[in-house]
Amino acid sequence: MTKFTLHAVATAIAAALFAAPASAGDFPPGQVEYIIPFGPGGESDITARMQQPYFEKLYGEQMIVSYKPGGGGAVGWSQLNGMAADGSVIMGVNLPHTIVKPLQGNVGFETDDIVNAYMFHYTPDAIVVRADSPYQSLDDLIAAAKENPRKITFSGSGKGTANHLVSVRFDELAGIETTYVSFKGTGAAVTAMLGGQVSAEWGYTTVGGGQGDKVRMLAVAMEERHPAFPDVPTFRELGYDIVSGAYRGVAVPKDTPEETRQAVSDAIAAINADPEFRQKMIDGGFALIDVPYGPEMDAWMKARAEEYIPAARAAGVID
Amino acid sequence: MLDFFLAALTPLNLLLALAGVAAGTIIGSVPGLTATMAVAVLVPLTFGMPPESALILLGAIYTGAIYGGAYAAILLNTPGTPSAIGTTFDGYPMAKRGDGDLAVTIACLSSLVGGIVGAAALLLLAPPLAEAALAFGPVEYFWLAIFGLSLIAALSTRDFLKGLIGAAFGILIAMVGISETSAEVRFTFGSNTLLGGIETVSALIGLYCVPVLIELAATSGRHLKEDSGGTRGFRLPEAFSTLMRHKVNVIRSSVIGTLVGALPGAGGSIAGLVAYSEARRTDRRAPAYGQGNPGGIVATESANNATVGGGFIPTLVLGIPGTPPDAVILGALLVQGVRTGPTLFSDGSSIVYTFIFGLFLATLLMLPVGLLIGRFAYRSIVRAPKAGLVPVVAFMTIIGSFAIRNSLSDVGIMLALGVVGWIANRRGFSVSPIVLGLILGRIAEEGFVQSWTIGDAMGNVWGQFFGRPLSLVIIALTLLSFVYPFLPALTRLLRRRGTALPGPSDKREPADPAAILRDLAGISVMAAVAGVALWQCAGLNPEAAVFPRTIATGMLVLCCLAALETLLTRRVVEDRSYGSTGRRAGVVASMAAGIALAPVLGFATAGIAMALGLMLSSEHNNRSLRGWGLLALSVAAVITVFTIGFREALSVPLPGGLIF
Repeated sequence: MTKFTLHAVATAIAAALFAAPASAGDFPPGQVEYIIPFGPGGESDITARMQQPYFEKLYGEQMIVSYKPGGGGAVGWSQLNGMAADGSVIMGVNLPHTIVKPLQGNVGFETDDIVNAYMFHYTPDAIVVRADSPYQSLDDLIAAAKENPRKITFSGSGKGTANHLVSVRFDELAGIETTYVSFKGTGAAVTAMLGGQVSAEWGYTTVGGGQGDKVRMLAVAMEERHPAFPDVPTFRELGYDIVSGAYRGVAVPKDTPEETRQAVSDAIAAINADPEFRQKMIDGGFALIDVPYGPEMDAWMKARAEEYIPAARAAGVID
Repeated sequence: MLDFFLAALTPLNLLLALAGVAAGTIIGSVPGLTATMAVAVLVPLTFGMPPESALILLGAIYTGAIYGGAYAAILLNTPGTPSAIGTTFDGYPMAKRGDGDLAVTIACLSSLVGGIVGAAALLLLAPPLAEAALAFGPVEYFWLAIFGLSLIAALSTRDFLKGLIGAAFGILIAMVGISETSAEVRFTFGSNTLLGGIETVSALIGLYCVPVLIELAATSGRHLKEDSGGTRGFRLPEAFSTLMRHKVNVIRSSVIGTLVGALPGAGGSIAGLVAYSEARRTDRRAPAYGQGNPGGIVATESANNATVGGGFIPTLVLGIPGTPPDAVILGALLVQGVRTGPTLFSDGSSIVYTFIFGLFLATLLMLPVGLLIGRFAYRSIVRAPKAGLVPVVAFMTIIGSFAIRNSLSDVGIMLALGVVGWIANRRGFSVSPIVLGLILGRIAEEGFVQSWTIGDAMGNVWGQFFGRPLSLVIIALTLLSFVYPFLPALTRLLRRRGTALPGPSDKREPADPAAILRDLAGISVMAAVAGVALWQCAGLNPEAAVFPRTIATGMLVLCCLAALETLLTRRVVEDRSYGSTGRRAGVVASMAAGIALAPVLGFATAGIAMALGLMLSSEHNNRSLRGWGLLALSVAAVITVFTIGFREALSVPLPGGLIF
C-alpha cells in the first residue's frame, strides 16, 4: 500500500467519523501535542503511549507526547489555558489532583478553569504487598494494624492523591491507624514496597498488572472484581464501602470552541472504543470509563468533588 | 545467544544504531536537550518498526545523548546534560590550557568503556543486580545524596565554609515550588511562575554558562587556547595512554555507574559525581582534580555511560524505570507488547537479547561517531571569532532552556540565576557547590522526610538513619570524602607540633578593609537568604518545613562562622577579574531583551536581535563594515537553522510572534 493510498484511507476514515458534526474547523488541525503534566514513566505517560498509535491510525496524524512535570501536575495545568486553543494541544488531567490541589493554596489554577474533554479510565486503588509478606489477606493486615498502631507503613504516590485519600478513609472505616509515607510517583512507591522499606503499598491495580507474581493484592477499590484479577476481592465484598482510584482524562484550553471540544471528546471516545485497545488496557490493570464532554462530564465532576473534598479535609490536606 | 547477536547486526538495525548514536550525540551536546527529550521525541518513529529495531534505535539515542553532554561541559563549561556536571570540573580547565581536543577524545574513550561495562552487566547480571537494588531505600538515598554533596570539600578548598554556604543556598533553591512529597507550596512568594520550582537543567545552564559568556565578552583574550603547532588530529594515542594510566579509575567508575544506574531513580548525575569523588580521593597525580586532571573526565564519562546499561536493569527486570529516559523506553516497550519481568531473561525471549547486543553496537559506534562530531565541535568553538561565539552560545542556552518545559519563565530564571552565579563567584562562592545543592537537595529531602516518617512510625528515628548496614558504609565514605581534602593541612599541623622549630607561615597578606567589607556584604546576603527561608518555613506544615528549616539554620550558622573567620583572619577569597563592566552589562541586557522579545517578534527574530547586541558587547577589535555584515549573516543563519530544527525535528512549540 503506497503512502498516498494509506493517507487517503485515513482521510476517508476521518471524514466518515466526523461527517455528522461537520464544521469549518476540522479536527485535528495537524499533529497534536499531548502534554503529560508529570514526568515519564507513570500511568499517565504509559496510557498516552498506548493511545498514540491508535490516534495515528484513526487520523493519519501524529500525537506527540511531551512532558511538563512539576508540582504534582500543577505546572502543566496552570499553563494549559495559555496554549493554542485550536485542538492542536491537549493535556492529561488526573483526579483527585485537579480538585484537591487548588484547595491547598495558590497552585496557579482552579478546578473550574480546566475544560475536561473526556475521562477515559481510572486506576483503582489497591493494597499491594510483596509476595513473601506475612499478610495473606486484608483481615491479616487489619489485625496487625490494631495490634501495632501506626507501625504498619504504606508507601503511596504523593500527598492529596488517590493513594493518600483512600488511605485515610480506609483507616477510618477499619478503625485502625497506619502510617502513610509519600513517594514521588508509583515507581518509587513500588520500589519501597518490594524492597521491604514499608509494610505495604497503597497502589493501583496497574501495579498488580506490572509486577505479576512478585506481589499480592489484598483488595481492590472497585464495584466488581477486576477482570484481570478475578481472585482479588473488592473492599466492598470485605465490608468496606470504598470505590476509588486515580481518574484520568484529557483537557483542552478554555478558549477552545465548542465544536473542537466535542471533536476531541469524540476522538478519545473512538480510541477507547477500539476492542484491541480496551483489552490492552484491561490486561495492564486499568479500568476503562467513558465520560464525554458535556452535561455528563459536568455532573460527573460534581460528584467527584463531593467525594474528594471531605476526604481531603479529613486527611488534613486542606483546611 | 548467537542468533540474537546476529539479529542485532541486520543492515536495518546497524543503520538505526548509527543514526541513533549520531542524533543522540548531537542532541545531548546542546545544553538543555536531555537524553529524556531525545528519546521521547523519537518514540513515534518506532511505532511502525519491529520491536527489536525500535528498542535498538531508542537505546542508541540514549547512549549518544549521555555522551554528547561532554562536549559542552568541556568546551563551554556547561554540562549538556546533568550527567556531565563532573566533566566540567576538569574538562573545561583542560580546554582552557589548550587540551580541549585531548579532553574530547578522552571523554569518548571513557564513555565507550563505561557503556560496554554497563551493557555487559545488563546482559550477565541483570536479575541479581535488580534484586540487590531493592535493598536501597529512602535512607540510603538520603546518605547517597549527602555523599555526593561531600564533593563540596574538593570543589571549594579555597574556602570550605563558602562552599557549604553555597550548597545550602542551592538546596534552598531546590525547595522552591510545590513539594513533590508533601504537596505544600514553598518559597514562591505568591508567584505562579515559581510553582513548578526552579527547573534543574535550566538552572544548571544559567549557573555555569552565563558567567562564562559574561567573562568572555568582558575580556579580550581568546576563549580557549589552541595549540598553534598545527593540526594534531584526535590525539588518540595520547588519550589511549591516558586511559591506560587511569585503568583502575575507568573500571571503578564504570562499575559505580552501573550500580548507581541500577538504583531506580538515581541516574547519571549522581553516578558521575560519586565516581568523580572516588577518583579524586584515590588519585595522587598532578595536576589536582578540578584543575584539569584528565582522571576527572575519565571518572565522570565512564560512569555516566555505564548508567545506560545499568538503568535498564530495573527497567527490564522490575518494570521500574532506572532513569527518566528508561521511563520513556519502558512506555515504548509496553506499547510494543513486551512484558517486563525476570522471565524476560529466562524465557529466551529474543527481544531483550537483541536489544542488549544493540546497546553494545551503539556503544562501539560511539567511537567513530563521537570522535568525528567531537572534532567538529572542538574546531568550531576554538576557531569561531568571539563576537560570533558569544551570540550563538547564548542563543543555544536560551532555546535549550526553553525546550525543557516549553517555558519562557524557565529561560528568565536561567538568566537570573546566571547573574546570581556570576556575582556569587566574584564574592568567592563558586558555582559548583550551588549546583550540587540544587541537584542533590531534592533527593536528600525526599529520603530524609520518608526516613523520618518511617522511623517515627517505628518509634526509632535514630535507628532508621544510622542502623542500616548499607547506610553506615555510605556514611563512612562520606566522612572520608569530607576529610580527605584537608589531610595535607592536618598532616603539616601534626608534623609541626612534633618539632620545636617554627614552620613556614601559611599566612597570606591580610586583605584591605574594602575587600573585607565586600566579603562581609556577600556573607550577609547569604545570611539574609537563610533568614527569609526560616521566616517562610514558619507557615508550612512540619513535613514540608523540617528539611529546609534544618538547612536554613545550618546556613545561618555557617554564615556567622564565615564572617567570624573573615574578621579574625582578615583573609578574603574573591575573584576580581578585570574587564569591561559595560560589556558585561551589555551581555545581560541583550539576553534579557531577547527573552522579552521572543513572544512579541518570534523566537528567531528575537534571537537575531539579541545576537546583534551580543556581537557589539563582545567584539574587541575593529571590524570592517563588510566583516560585521558577514558575521551577522553567519550568526543569523545559525540561529535560523537552530530554530527550524527545534520546531520541526524536535516539535518544540517555540513562540511565533509577529515575524518568525
